[in-house]
This record gives sequence, structure tokens and C-alpha cells, in this order.
Amino acid sequence: MSDQRSLVPHVAVRLENVTQRFRVIQERPDTLRELFAKFFRHQVSFHDFDAISNLSLEVPSGQMLGVIGRNGSGKSTLLKIIAGVYRPTAGHVHVEGSLAPLIELGAGFHHELTGRENILLNGLLMGYSKEEMRAREQSIIDFAGIGDFIDAPVKQYSSGMHTRLAFAVATEVDPKILVVDEILAVGDASFQQKCFARIDKFRKGGKTILFVSHDTAQVIEHCDRVVLLDKGSIIADGEPAEVVSFYKSMTEPEMATAQ
Amino acid sequence: MLGNTALKELILSTYRYRELIWELALKELKLRYKRSVLGFLWALLNPALMMAVLTIVFSTILRFNIPHYAIFLLSVLLPWTFFSQSLSYAVDCIVGNGELIKKVSVPKLVFPVAAVVSNIFNLLLSLIPMALLVLVMRHPFYSTWLYLPVPIIALVIFTLGMTCFFAAANVFYRDVAHILQVVLSAWFYFTPIIYALDFVPANLRWLFRLNPMIYVINGFRLAIYYGMLPSRQSIAASFVCGTIALIIGCAVFRKYQDEFVFYV
Repeated sequence: MSDQRSLVPHVAVRLENVTQRFRVIQERPDTLRELFAKFFRHQVSFHDFDAISNLSLEVPSGQMLGVIGRNGSGKSTLLKIIAGVYRPTAGHVHVEGSLAPLIELGAGFHHELTGRENILLNGLLMGYSKEEMRAREQSIIDFAGIGDFIDAPVKQYSSGMHTRLAFAVATEVDPKILVVDEILAVGDASFQQKCFARIDKFRKGGKTILFVSHDTAQVIEHCDRVVLLDKGSIIADGEPAEVVSFYKSMTEPEMATAQ
Repeated sequence: MLGNTALKELILSTYRYRELIWELALKELKLRYKRSVLGFLWALLNPALMMAVLTIVFSTILRFNIPHYAIFLLSVLLPWTFFSQSLSYAVDCIVGNGELIKKVSVPKLVFPVAAVVSNIFNLLLSLIPMALLVLVMRHPFYSTWLYLPVPIIALVIFTLGMTCFFAAANVFYRDVAHILQVVLSAWFYFTPIIYALDFVPANLRWLFRLNPMIYVINGFRLAIYYGMLPSRQSIAASFVCGTIALIIGCAVFRKYQDEFVFYV
């Protein structure tokens, strides 16, 4: 959850010395029996690790920020902190304006409910009103292009239809900030194009976009600025092309050894 | 102090997310009756059939020295069923919505509230066959039925508090859901539901009076079976118990809600 402190208007997202610590318990006791057993035998062993450590970041409103880094560098954790899913262990998070998280699209979908019912439920989960969702229902259905399937239970959808509907719901609600976590890897080429067209429209409309991707070409093409994460810290921040080439110089030796 | 902020948060987020809570509750009901031929009618048929069975059993096989025993029993069995069903179903509401909690920032309190709301629907519907039974058995239909909203409110407050507590505890230890079943069945027999408090040996009654549930359900039996209103002390006791349960439940829930995402 974000602090409601007043902000300089042009900053959309600000993180100050944010740390997200995870306690990794080796074989976390899932039941009381295990807990007691381990407690009395002093077997509860764990270690703490910082998925994000002392990270500060400011994203001006209207910027499209790319976030790159290796697996486990903290990209998704960072997005989840910004989206308010995690409350960080330390530090402050300020988010100005409505935010639509596109993290594992369709997470809020219930498989037994129809697409139409899910549109409403998903919108309400993101904090929009029933009235707003009803007003946008038709354009969501149109963008997703799933036709009569809208009144069928979501479990009958193909994964592509699932993603298209989820993307449509998340973006049609007109958020100020869009958080995109590698979701565009799914869906066919024409839908990807449609998504990027919409993301570009968002950019032109002055929205802030945080974009995680492994596709460095996409990042260079679309982002205004790129940050490179490594072990929970930002190790490079700047021009997309420069940061990407730095990232490549960092990973290429590894890839060479792998081959 | 702690209780105050917890209650305030409960009220604020319930109000702010009322539409979401309503849709979540509707979703639960839809799913409960989906794919059944009779659909929502089951919400009515289920208590009606249960009442029919109990009435037959207690008027032919097991006969107690209580006139219209079925009404005597059902008048408090209905609120008890609401309580135990809400709890057994809602204990899982955070864990069951884990995938959602991991991806969307949403006040976690909406889940236990929605779970209880969907069960209120069942409770209210079960009053219809209850009224029919009263008519069929030619038991007097008392005007004290109009008083029922008061014990219903106390019952809902109490249930919500317990729900928040157990739903939060279950996130960290999944044993809670199993323990709850045992607790509920013991609690059922130690509450004057199938019997009256008068049946309990006089020297043990003080012990039974420590059971908060006794005050919470008392109003139902008085209003439906006896046609009486509970004493002021009894009403006060039911609301005090409800509020204490709600404050503790909410405070515990609130204290740990930011941790849920790491354990679901």
C-alpha cells in the first residue's frame, strides 16, 4: 500500500531506500506438528535474503521505464512493491494516481464465471466502480475480440483469449500508471502488435509505464529509460541502448561459458 | 486503541469496497449453486428438507418432553448453522484467494466480509421454511419475529469477528481449518441448542453462561419459540460478546494481513 504523502506533481512513482526481505525457511513448517517438532529439536532453520536491497528510484510521470535483469534479480518483486502487493520491509513507496497491474494477466479471473462476470469482478478488484466497469464493458469485449465467448465460463477460453481479455480489462480502465510484467510474451503476433499499439497510445497520453521484459529489442524500441537490476539493486540507469549493451556485455561471458 | 483502529479500518474498507464485497458474495452463491438443475432454489430447499427430516425424527422417533420440539430446536439451529457454515467456509477465504492476493493490491478484509455476507443470504432464506414450519405445526406465530433483526445483527458481528481470526490463523497454520471442525462440534454440544439451559445441572450453569454463543442465539429461540423478548442484560451481553470477538478478530487480522502474501 502506498503512502498518501503529498508529492511533487510530476513524479508518478518514487521509492526511497526500499528493502524487501524474504525469510526463506528451509522446509517451512506447514503444520503445527512440524512446527512443534522442529521447535523442540531446534530445527527451524532459515536465512533472510533481500530480493530488493536499499533501492531508490524515481519515475517521472509520462515516462516509459524498462526494467531488465537476469532471472532472480528482483524485477518482479520491484513491480509487486510498486503495485502494492508487497509492503516493503523498509523504505517508502509513493505512487501517485491509479495503477493497473498487468502482473500475470488474468490473476483475478475466476474460471467458473463467464468473461462478462469476470470483467466486472476484475475491475472491482482494481478499485473501479461497478458503474465505470459497465460503461467500459463493450469496449473491453471489442478489444479482446472474443465474440460470443464473453458469456461462456473463462475455463473454456484458450490461453490466448484469456490473455486478451485480461489485457483489455487492465488497460481499458484508463489507469494513470501501467505496470507490465512480461506478459506480452504470450499471444500471437497480431495481438502483440495491438498491445504495443495500445501501450504507445498510453505513452502519448502522458501515462507512466513500467515495463519488465527479457526482450531487449522491445525495450530499446519502446522505453524512454531503462534500469538494470542485479541482486536487488540498480546497477545501471539511463539510455535504453546503453543500458542494454551494458547488460549484454555483462551476460555474454556467461553465455559463452554455457555454450 | 488497537481495537478502535481495526474496527475503523473494517468499516471504512467495507464501505469503500461494498460493490466488490457484494460481487464476491454473489460469486460464491453463484458457484455454490451452479450446475445444479434447481440452482438458487437449493438455498431454500436445503434448510426446508433438513427441517423436514428433523421434524419427523423428533416427533416420531425421539420424543422429548418439550412441545413442538422441532421449532424449539430449529429456532436456534438456524443461527448456529449460519455461524458454523460461515466459519468452516470462510476459514479458507485468504488461502483460497491466494493467487489473487499475490497479484493485486486489495484490502484483504473484503474476503472474510464477503464470505459472511454470502452466508447471511442463506440464513435469511432459511427463515422462510422456518415460518412455514411454524404454520404447519400450528405453533403460534408471534409478533416477536419482528425483533429478529436484533439478534441477527449480534450474530453477524460475532461471526465476522471469529471468521477474521480463523481466516488469518489458517494462513500461517493450515491445521486451523481442521481444529476448527473439532472446536465447532464440541461447541455445538456445549451450547443449549438441542436442549435448554434448564436441563443443565444448576451447579454447572455458571460454566455454560461463559459461552458467548448462548447470548448470541438466545434471542432467536425466545422470539420464535416462546414469543418473548430477551432481557436487556441478555441483549447487552450478546452485543458485548459480538463486539469483543470483532475487535479481537479484526485486530489479529489487521496485524498479520501484510504477511499473508508470503504464506498463501
